[in-house]
Amino acid sequence: MITSSILLAITTFAYLLCALLYLSGVIFRRRTIMLWGSVTGAATLAIQMAGIILRWWESYQIGYGHAPLSNLYESLVFAAWAIMLIYLIMEYRTKQRALGVFPSLFAFLAMAYASFSTGVNSKIQPLLPALKSNWLIAHVVTCFLGYAAFAVSFGISIFYIARQSRQEPSGGTHSLLPDLRQLDELNYQMVLFGFLWLSLGIITGSVWADLAWGTYWSWDPKETWSLITWLIYAALLHARAVKGWRGNRVAWLSIIGFCCVLFTYFGVNFLLGGLHSYATTK
Amino acid sequence: MTVQKKGFLQGIYQKLASPKLTVVIFLVLAAASVVGTLMPQGLSEAEIQRHYGQRAIWFITTFGLNDLYHTGWFRFLLLILSANLVVCTIERLPKTLKLYRRREEQVDPEKLAKCSLNCQFTSNLPQDETEARLIRIISEEFGTLQRLDGDGHLAGIAEKGRWSPLMVYVVHLSVLLVLCGALVSSIFGFKGFMNILEGEAASEVMLEGSDRGLNLPFQVRCDKFDVSYYDNGMPREFRSDLTLIRDGKEVLKQELRVNDPLTYDGITFYQSSYGAILKDAEVELTDRKSGAVRRLIVLFREWVDIPGTRDRAQILRFDEDFRQLGPAMVLLISRDGKEPAGSWILIDRDFHGNKVGNYHVRVLQATRTPYTGLQVKQDPGVWLVWLGFAAMLVGIGLTYYVSHRKLWVWAEADTPGKGGTKIIIAGRTNRNELSFEQEFNRLCDRLQAELGQEGGGSKP
Repeated sequence: MITSSILLAITTFAYLLCALLYLSGVIFRRRTIMLWGSVTGAATLAIQMAGIILRWWESYQIGYGHAPLSNLYESLVFAAWAIMLIYLIMEYRTKQRALGVFPSLFAFLAMAYASFSTGVNSKIQPLLPALKSNWLIAHVVTCFLGYAAFAVSFGISIFYIARQSRQEPSGGTHSLLPDLRQLDELNYQMVLFGFLWLSLGIITGSVWADLAWGTYWSWDPKETWSLITWLIYAALLHARAVKGWRGNRVAWLSIIGFCCVLFTYFGVNFLLGGLHSYATTK
Repeated sequence: MTVQKKGFLQGIYQKLASPKLTVVIFLVLAAASVVGTLMPQGLSEAEIQRHYGQRAIWFITTFGLNDLYHTGWFRFLLLILSANLVVCTIERLPKTLKLYRRREEQVDPEKLAKCSLNCQFTSNLPQDETEARLIRIISEEFGTLQRLDGDGHLAGIAEKGRWSPLMVYVVHLSVLLVLCGALVSSIFGFKGFMNILEGEAASEVMLEGSDRGLNLPFQVRCDKFDVSYYDNGMPREFRSDLTLIRDGKEVLKQELRVNDPLTYDGITFYQSSYGAILKDAEVELTDRKSGAVRRLIVLFREWVDIPGTRDRAQILRFDEDFRQLGPAMVLLISRDGKEPAGSWILIDRDFHGNKVGNYHVRVLQATRTPYTGLQVKQDPGVWLVWLGFAAMLVGIGLTYYVSHRKLWVWAEADTPGKGGTKIIIAGRTNRNELSFEQEFNRLCDRLQAELGQEGGGSKP
């Protein structure tokens, strides 16, 4: 009998394979290997999606009945899925496969952390009354699409900085990568896309908090850190649009922004607590 | 003096108009918010002293770090951000509008050839046919070509997303709306909570962040309170059956659940918590001197005489799980009308420490009454916040998806009499250059395929 845990276990190893394929493609400069990376990535995405849907169905069988987006384990699984989804759409549109190294690595790390860490409980748990709302789906999906876009942008930024710092003759690893201008443009598109979803995520969270607790903003650490992230990316967009920042500085700001994303996601859960503390597992 | 003052004000205005300030405020706000999350908010001075020591108190309270988001300086930052938004809009919007309204009267072929994105080629088709095909293909691939007065040549402009540079102002307006909404709510609204015992009615709301109460113009009665649990003991759902009573008449009966608030007369109620108080308890008091045993029923916060003595007793507090020892209550006993003494009494076990004064206490039976915890608020500014949110999403969404793309077309007879037509096309976009470049190249490829051979020009 196929269960969601089997599918998600397959997913974990398949993302590892996918990351290794992309990485070897870049190291050995073989486009065919990278193509296999894309194929593995797309297939894994489908398996993972089936796993998520199955877990949803299983939660109804147990009698809890909720979307699989309610605790750290489920959010990590969804984060991995969202990163690969956004990356593969970008890859399809730009035909730039070398950029897949970081997204597939992130997807693998998220799945591995979810599956192997003793601190992450993978059991389907019932929902607290405050979380029983359709806003849960809207809020988590929008936030994580934003986070995923920022993760992809982080990968692009690393490539940008790496590519800029080493002026290799043409024909090197870099010929697999888009040129600097394209990387910068892609990075900007990805940040703007993430910014849109992060805004949506903060807004849906805010509307939901108003319904559940009677306050749309309570300076809870998670809320505040999402605002900090939003401010960093807003600063990036303004610096680019009004002050004409390009390239390196934008890449660095994007890296700082992604560190904020990571802190909003993990740091707040483990170090600060607050209203979102159910996102840690007990 | 006035000149100096004017200079000073102008200086401030100049500062506020600078886009550098925007980025700086974003980063300062972010840094301040970080401090606010690292430092626990809402600590009392005693707690600060315990955690951070005597020296830190002055620093923390002076800068309000224990209630950072409500301090004057944090609000001042938000005020500067708003002023910066307003001034930048005043400075830039007229220019953007001018650009938006401006229609080009002419196309200058020399300028087109200098555009970073341009292509030039010659068509050998008859001029009428060339022009007709040019217009048709451009309108199919890109958008309608507006023809300009070309004095014997074909000149035209096609554009998309002309209004997209205006979207930034929608986003700026949305931030102002959200801040205005918050301001309106904090001035004209209130936030608080009320605990209502099952079966009782109340009208007083305890305001958040103060020890004041506020009387609602009507009463709220909790007819029934219910909790259901999952099999692992987690609460599944809780709800209260509420009746609102105004001037002695029942005006509304409704059940209140988590995530499903109730609004009446501009005031909204949220099911937020629950608990129980000890309504009364039957106790056995043993006088440790005389050994006399007396039984009586003590009440919650109401004095009861202990029969056969001049002493009185009452329940002061109740805890469902006192230091993980199970339910317990604070029993107060006043001897001879003197200052009362009290102590925690465990309810479920006969514990040797269960004593107050010279009485040993044993609880025979305890009657609990559940209460429902309601969050109550009046928030007249919330619709401004929702409006701001909607505008923000529309603004950011359209900024992402639509850019202002413009195409210039010029066609003229190459050398009179020979029949060839020279065509120049140039394009420009305000954002998303790569995808426009692809779109532009696709258009040029199709035009060249259907109109004639290539003739120089730069195609990136």
